Amino acid sequence: MATAQTAVARPTAPVELRRASAGLWSDALYRLRRDPTTIAALGTLLLLVLLSASADLLADNVFQWSFSKQDILSSYEKPSLSEPAMVLGSDELGRSQIVRLLYGGRVSLSVGAFAALVSMTIGVLLGISAGYFRGWWDDVVVWLVQTLANIPTLYLLLLIGAYFRLNPVTLTLLLGLLGWLGINNLSRGQTFALREREYVVAARTIGATPWRVMTRHIFPNVLPLLIVVAMIDVGAVILTESALSYLGFGIQPPVPSWGNMLTNATQYSSRAAWLIYAPGAMIFITVLCLYLVGDGLRDALDPRLRGSIGGAAATKKTA
Amino acid sequence: MGRFIARRLVQAVPTLFGILLLTFLLSRLSPADPVKLMVAGNFDITPEDRAVLYHDLGLDDPLPIQFVHFLGDVARLNFGNSFYYHRPVVELIGERIPNSLQLSLLSLLLALAIGVPLGVIAAYNRGKLADHVIRITSVAGHAVPTFWFGLLFVTILGVQLRWFPIGSMNVVGVDCVFCWDRLWHIVGPVITLSLTGIAAYPRYLRTEVLEIIRQDYVRTAQSKGLRDRSIAVGHVLRNSLIPVVTLLGGILTIILGGSVVIERVFNWPGLGRLLFDGLVNKDYPMVQASVIIGALLLLVSYILRDIAYAWVDPRIKVR
Repeated sequence: MATAQTAVARPTAPVELRRASAGLWSDALYRLRRDPTTIAALGTLLLLVLLSASADLLADNVFQWSFSKQDILSSYEKPSLSEPAMVLGSDELGRSQIVRLLYGGRVSLSVGAFAALVSMTIGVLLGISAGYFRGWWDDVVVWLVQTLANIPTLYLLLLIGAYFRLNPVTLTLLLGLLGWLGINNLSRGQTFALREREYVVAARTIGATPWRVMTRHIFPNVLPLLIVVAMIDVGAVILTESALSYLGFGIQPPVPSWGNMLTNATQYSSRAAWLIYAPGAMIFITVLCLYLVGDGLRDALDPRLRGSIGGAAATKKTA
Repeated sequence: MGRFIARRLVQAVPTLFGILLLTFLLSRLSPADPVKLMVAGNFDITPEDRAVLYHDLGLDDPLPIQFVHFLGDVARLNFGNSFYYHRPVVELIGERIPNSLQLSLLSLLLALAIGVPLGVIAAYNRGKLADHVIRITSVAGHAVPTFWFGLLFVTILGVQLRWFPIGSMNVVGVDCVFCWDRLWHIVGPVITLSLTGIAAYPRYLRTEVLEIIRQDYVRTAQSKGLRDRSIAVGHVLRNSLIPVVTLLGGILTIILGGSVVIERVFNWPGLGRLLFDGLVNKDYPMVQASVIIGALLLLVSYILRDIAYAWVDPRIKVR
């Protein structure tokens, strides 16, 4: 983003002595280190990723309870410290809640990350090319965006989920295919502004190909914003996936996901209310951390943008 | 104004076409065989009967012809009979729409009534305690999975404390719209459904109001001696109506999309619940019609939003 360069030249805080500006990324890192909320959120997030990634290891060694192990005799076990596997209680089949949460986290986090990656790719490609070439191509992209924006994403997902059987991979692709609108609008808008700037015009004048202009001159300037939106996007995808799985059209049992664990829990809510608290709290904490990191990165990358992508995030949520 | 509305209606045509094309293609690409689903349970059906049904449904026509027939059916609001209820789908949807509208309009009003003042308060108390509290609540409100919030409402306030009913619109035997009983039932779904709006408005509006406070006309109003309160109402709030309307589109999408999940959580007999039941029962005419009608409702509300936009900001009409 072109504005980032000018922002770098301003002192961040009036009191502290300015060290030599070392570029966008190291400046961002410098500001990020002074933001305890973001650091805490980032730490929590890394911890969650680490715990989910080592779900197999933890289930075997610490809890000694596999995610599918049933034990009818210890069903509806209240959360207790008697056994490591029962710290969060057990469900109607006596399966360990905490082990299932770890595995569910693995599913939810990877679906969120990969779907966001897919939608970033589509959104950036379409957004930058539409903003750069304009004309009929832009019209097509805008039409596509408006059509998709006019059907509630959850409706569309349910419709597709009803017609085709989804597995975690196709679900991820689908969430990515439907989630690129926000990124597209953002990168298209940025490109509109950037393509008339002197350095872009100069590059074109000396004969740079459109591909070179877009990848070398426009994309790097859109990138900081994209990283911010990516964080928000992963969070939004996790929320959508959990709602879809809760309704029974996302991740299918026996594969645990935080969403489908809640479907199960509602059936036994009068008997085992604790089953409702943990999966939802995991979704909440994960998404909260992602949003906080997104906010923090935005302020670190360009303090002048403070609060400006909040609106974009506001309309990302589908469930 | 008339010209503006007419132009906006014409602009909606390609979007409408896109919505119909997408829903049509999805249903035809689906591996599910409509005739098989239609006659499910009838074992004495002969291949000849099947051929006749295929022909009657027009499934042996080429795709473009089928699409034209489909458009004709949609124009006449003829979505066929429900496979499950054996009644015209339109009738069933017509019965549910008032329930859904009641829920979504109240949710929208609540989101505006709480979210907008919070945004203004945050901007006026920038950097103070109120600002921080509103900011944190707002991020948390974004990150919380709405359906989980609903589940907590039902479990804690409904099942455990018995303060609120755990579902449906009225107590059995009572059937009224404007009465205490209905109000008592609608509190949970409305709070849950408006949660995202309540969280989104402060986040978005805060930046906008801060921008407005810095404008010249506010300084002029101050220097001519107007009281702060009348500036806040007459100048700041009036101009912040524009961003309020801008965000309305996203909030409407969230409310409509979220209604599928929330109506399931609170067992509210609306359009979203009908869509969900259709999915569970593999009632494809119902699913298709609900998605199309849902998208149409959204399209209409977007047009209404744009008219409201032109009304609060007359500059829009000229563009």
